[in-house]
Amino acid sequence: MNFNWTEEQAALRSRVRALLARELPPDWEHICRHGPGSPEQTAFSLGFCPKLAAEGLLVPHWPVEHGGRGAPAWEHFIVGEELFAAGEPRGPQYMNVNFIGATLMKYGTPEQQARYLPPMAAGQAVWCQGFSEPSAGSDLAALATRAEARGDAYVINGGKVWTSYAGMAQTCFLLARTGSGKGGIAIFLVPMDTPGITVRAIPSLIGHGDIHEVFFDNVVVPASARLGEEGQAWAIISYALGLERVGLARYAFSRRVLDRMVGELHAQGLFTDDAVRTQAARALAACEAARLLVYRVVDQRARGLPPTAEANLARVAVVAADHAVADFALDHFGDALCGDGWPLVLAHHERAIAAGIASGAAEIQLNLVAHEWLQLPREPRLERA
Amino acid sequence: MNISFTPDQHALLDAVDRIAQRHEGKATLGASHFEESAALQADLEGAGVFDAAAMEELGPVAAAAMVQRLARLPQCVELIASALLLPLLATALPRPCAVLWDQRDRPARWLPGARAVLCVRGNRVEAAPLTDDDVAPLDSPFGYPVGRLRAPDALAWTPLDIDAQALRRLWQLGVAAELTGCLDAGLQAVVAHVRERRQFGRPLGAFQAIQHRLAQAAVQVEAARWLTLQAAFTGTQADAATALAHAQQCTPTVVYDLHQFMGAMGLTLEHPLHRWTTRAKMLRADLGGAQAQLRALANATWGANEKAGT
Repeated sequence: MNFNWTEEQAALRSRVRALLARELPPDWEHICRHGPGSPEQTAFSLGFCPKLAAEGLLVPHWPVEHGGRGAPAWEHFIVGEELFAAGEPRGPQYMNVNFIGATLMKYGTPEQQARYLPPMAAGQAVWCQGFSEPSAGSDLAALATRAEARGDAYVINGGKVWTSYAGMAQTCFLLARTGSGKGGIAIFLVPMDTPGITVRAIPSLIGHGDIHEVFFDNVVVPASARLGEEGQAWAIISYALGLERVGLARYAFSRRVLDRMVGELHAQGLFTDDAVRTQAARALAACEAARLLVYRVVDQRARGLPPTAEANLARVAVVAADHAVADFALDHFGDALCGDGWPLVLAHHERAIAAGIASGAAEIQLNLVAHEWLQLPREPRLERA
Repeated sequence: MNISFTPDQHALLDAVDRIAQRHEGKATLGASHFEESAALQADLEGAGVFDAAAMEELGPVAAAAMVQRLARLPQCVELIASALLLPLLATALPRPCAVLWDQRDRPARWLPGARAVLCVRGNRVEAAPLTDDDVAPLDSPFGYPVGRLRAPDALAWTPLDIDAQALRRLWQLGVAAELTGCLDAGLQAVVAHVRERRQFGRPLGAFQAIQHRLAQAAVQVEAARWLTLQAAFTGTQADAATALAHAQQCTPTVVYDLHQFMGAMGLTLEHPLHRWTTRAKMLRADLGGAQAQLRALANATWGANEKAGT
């Protein structure tokens, strides 16, 4: 067991920090104020990610034939940790490099790979995930959007909701029903400019331009847009979510914001109250707990071991860390949340509102910990109506 | 970064596990709050596992993991001094060894039966040999033998040239490791119970209200496990404080939930749950409890409080 970074890993971290110091503009914290899905941050990512790609830091973990270097899992994770701590200059493109790319490599046809992987590796692809629907949130398998086979094509009808990044996405990673039940779902890679798709931004608490409704009205896609087989969606999604769950180093952003607040309180001579100091330390300990549980998952991945419920344990801890830091901000930094003097703290405040709700409810994570880690029996299922 | 045990560390932990398994079924329940096991102590001594911390290929990481494992036994053995303090700082002292913090005349676990005692006051560390006659055993609600020195100032105390800060860090590490093991063992016992126990026509463990609280406990225990091992590896003040702060902080909720879901059976001396929870209740207050560790963590991370003591 060794908790030190290797020389290569430490050098990589320094390289990423140097790149950030060089490439992030003076108003970066205002740009990232509204989150990875905002128009400002998405637009920034389209300039920033090609620079990362040129440095070999966008998809280092991808195999050489797809534009990567076959670098170890840790290398990609360290890059992601630094970028997320800085407010995520990759914008929505983190999703491509964390899991959509790998999923296409595993399940995509050569044509799909040739079409979609190069723009991702070049830092110019924006995707959205068409998962949730009005009647299918945590219970994703209840989704109703239909893809009807018609000759060598599918006709898609239905609607998605809470879809991050849809406003600027070029392609949707879409779940739609081709039959009944969990086994009746397929994945489609749908260009967002296909006729019949309408996107409506939903005004939200958690950042401008982050969540949308997406309507599919007789959207025709060729059969070649289907990823994997009909009915294979659940297996593909499990694979993708396994990569996604710890893809984001949210605790690193929380830690950054906590240090920033403590630094300011210090400067003002206000970091002397024992209660304030212990609350800050409690938030720090929560960030550390989350960091180590996430590291365990990365460690297993780096060894090529199959994903376990440790990813779900980690997610629960990450949410707790977000909340601990957000609570500290509200208790001791509330004035700074008014006005635009502390955009990073505001960004954290808004993201923490969604922590535990977005990308898989915390309660679903707890269910998975109970069933898969503790081997507790499942709740009896109700028949689907 | 490599968060798995080395083959050498695995070999030690397998050996410790085999010893622990031999003793697991031999606990005598029903009569007392705690059960010291001389046979277990002898087996551990015989296998030489208490030297692990000082061996380069094993180190404090393996020793902390060993403490985590042995604390899962219903029987108790003095672990923190034997597995961490003595091999790393005070090799000349005999085992078992009790440790007194701040005062010579306070109650401490492991004083009954100890062959030596360490006392830490401020930056001074001193030690004295002990015989059974030197110690008055005390009744306590905690799952350890607890006693008090009969005539603390009459013992043959010798000052030791030991860094009190280093000793405190190892103690934080050891308590965090022992707490992890106690909470883990209690959690496993309760999980086994709620899988089997049926009410309202189904296992208790199939109720989401119970699942979520036990899942939260699992998150806390796993975090405690890895924070402790990180602290063992780095040896920093901040990591030791983090590990113990986390473990002490989560203990009240976890212990409450474990007893809640074990129901009345967990209130008996016949079921082993109390062996772990009554230890945890003592460990959660060590070195001033979670608040004190959080203060130490704040100091180590962001600098000492400029207004401290004013």
